[in-house]
Amino acid sequence: MVEVQGGLGLGSRWTWRALALPGVAWLTVFFLIAFYAVLCVAFGNQDSLSQPVPFWNPLDWNVGYFLSVMHDIFHNGPFLTVFIRTIVFVVIAMALCLVVGYPVAYFAARHAGRWKGLVLVLLIVPFWINYLMRMLAWINLLSPGGWGTRILHGLGIEWIFLHLGLLSNPGGWLDGQQSTVILALVYGYIPFLILPLFAALDRIDQRQIEAARDLGASSFSAFLRVTLPLSVPGILAGVVLVALPMFGDYYTPDLVSASTKTNMIGNQIDEFTRQGSEKVSGAVLTILLSLLLLVLMAYYLRTTRRAGQEAGAEG
Amino acid sequence: MAHPKDRSGLTRRQVLRGAAGSAIGLSAAGLLAGCENTTTPLGVGGGPTSAASKLVVQKPLGPGGLPLPRPDNAVTWAITPENEPIKDGKPVERGPLRAYNYANYIDPATVKKFEDQYHTSVQIATYNSADEAIAKLAAGAVAFDVIIGLAGSNIVDLIAHKLLQPLNHSYLPNLSKNIWPDLQDPFYDRGDRYTVPYTVWSDGIGWRNDKVSEDIPSMPVPWDIFWHSQQYRGLVGLLDDKRDALAMPMQRDAMRTGIRPDLNTEDKTIIDNAEHELSQLTSICNIKVTITDFQTLPEGKTVLHHSWSGDLLAGAFYYMPKGVKPSVLSYWGPKANGVVQNDFFCIGRTAKSPVLAHAFLNFFLDETNAYNNFINYNGYAPPQNGIDAEALIKRGLIPKTLTEALVRPDQFAANQELLQLSVEGERLWDDAWSRFKAG
Repeated sequence: MVEVQGGLGLGSRWTWRALALPGVAWLTVFFLIAFYAVLCVAFGNQDSLSQPVPFWNPLDWNVGYFLSVMHDIFHNGPFLTVFIRTIVFVVIAMALCLVVGYPVAYFAARHAGRWKGLVLVLLIVPFWINYLMRMLAWINLLSPGGWGTRILHGLGIEWIFLHLGLLSNPGGWLDGQQSTVILALVYGYIPFLILPLFAALDRIDQRQIEAARDLGASSFSAFLRVTLPLSVPGILAGVVLVALPMFGDYYTPDLVSASTKTNMIGNQIDEFTRQGSEKVSGAVLTILLSLLLLVLMAYYLRTTRRAGQEAGAEG
Repeated sequence: MAHPKDRSGLTRRQVLRGAAGSAIGLSAAGLLAGCENTTTPLGVGGGPTSAASKLVVQKPLGPGGLPLPRPDNAVTWAITPENEPIKDGKPVERGPLRAYNYANYIDPATVKKFEDQYHTSVQIATYNSADEAIAKLAAGAVAFDVIIGLAGSNIVDLIAHKLLQPLNHSYLPNLSKNIWPDLQDPFYDRGDRYTVPYTVWSDGIGWRNDKVSEDIPSMPVPWDIFWHSQQYRGLVGLLDDKRDALAMPMQRDAMRTGIRPDLNTEDKTIIDNAEHELSQLTSICNIKVTITDFQTLPEGKTVLHHSWSGDLLAGAFYYMPKGVKPSVLSYWGPKANGVVQNDFFCIGRTAKSPVLAHAFLNFFLDETNAYNNFINYNGYAPPQNGIDAEALIKRGLIPKTLTEALVRPDQFAANQELLQLSVEGERLWDDAWSRFKAG
């Protein structure tokens, strides 16, 4: 009897593992091999026709282009400027996403009641329209005389931006403003933050909050000590989901600004890889950006694993 | 200070020592023990070896070690035994004809007329940049009968990659009949052996004359308008193309000093100086770097733009908002020492329908078809003897304010084309452009 159970268990284990095969194959082909190809281009060379020549054997790798880009970064070159600008844009945009997105997700998860489904649909609706289309719509809305510009003027928001130095002239939202690029990033990616946050907040056991209130916590204190800590995995998931595409974004600055003052690292990579004689440098920048994102991802995984372990220990 | 990439001559040991301050660089280099360290492209290097060659000032070589065509260094591309033109008098294939072109760069109605005339179909695939086109063609990812829209700045790449087949002019009677004489024998392809001209245009200044008060053509150096455009901040644009953009301050400096600029220079000082001057425009007018002036100028989203002449004509033809007259658009282009360009047609080496491809080229070299393609859709003028600005203005097709947007043969001869550079030269321009774009 025991042997039979063991056999079933083994078979079942292999069945579950086999189910992972398509995913593993997908990741191997479309991520690992593709990423290794980029690595081989970054540590390769280019031919006399300026086309990249990947060096597939790591023992042959050429570090010249990598060192050249690193030299630029460590000697205050243009790549450093763009990297810093990208990080600043993304950090501000992420913070704004949280400030705007958390209350929305909180309302949808905790207070929407029977309207929860409708709120969820409204959150998903932006996904129905292509990102590019949404951005192109904003170009018309924010042009001088556009509806968006008029409303922002009417609400006094333009005045605030002008006085904070975030807008250089009235109605000039599309005049190459850094603030416009950041707001466009927030607009474009905020649904990616709200949805995992909603899921995390929705999963919180109501009884834990009630217990806090029973023990004398005010509603604000219960939120601060119970809801907020329990929603940290959702916040982190949302932040990662938002940060990853934001770091690689290049079309948002192109569409709503086109000024050199708003170029992000994605624009540099696009410039290098799409045209010109520096495709290998473009691959190096891609690797450096990936390393930066890897740090973010590692932090997210570490935090979520620790949260999982703590939850397991408490259980 | 030397640019980082000037270190290619150092040994790996020297570089590792030099990079001691860079922890990441060091660790990467340390991990990659045994790897090479160079930014010198493969196959580049080597200089004159024979004694005789030392008696000549060597000209830079282009990709693949091929000569770089220049007006003073015309190139006749060889016809090799393994890649000869098609024979005379062959029947036209049924097709379909596979064409590779920039998006929206040929009139669908004129293409339809060709299809009807030859009882065939034309399948057009598009590319976004010349680099993209050449990369895909060279990789063998795409094979086409006709390639449209590449220019003299790409010819060396096309020849080096062995992407073209030579033309048989017996199928192209309209070439000698209709095309400007200079472009029947261009210096970049003597005898039009591999290419025939498609369109011509110039680089200049496009502006909204109802919003810009300055009389730009009357300025001693019209290019200066960009450096005096504080009042148009946020509404000023620069072509998003490194060669055109960096050549603009070079022209400005040359106009000021009265010298003829070399707009294909490989002099680092001149290129860096051009980048420095362009960078000033970021603080002066927060200049936008785009190629959408054909739309933004008519709509008033920009009021002053570094432009290709064809974009102004296309804007006047198709992009004027309701109630705005095309005459609000103005264009100025330098009479001499500026930039002129021409795009060409060519036939792919692996063309499956080469006779049909020749027929297609000859069809678009026909005056009526070329005119329709220009006026009804493209906006970029063909170098046809029979199409002149005065006639178009009289017919009300082009406003007087855009007279200069139509390039004339004498203007074409007095200006310069932006041509292919050596690998090192290309890199200098790329580095400067990258610094500018970093803001």
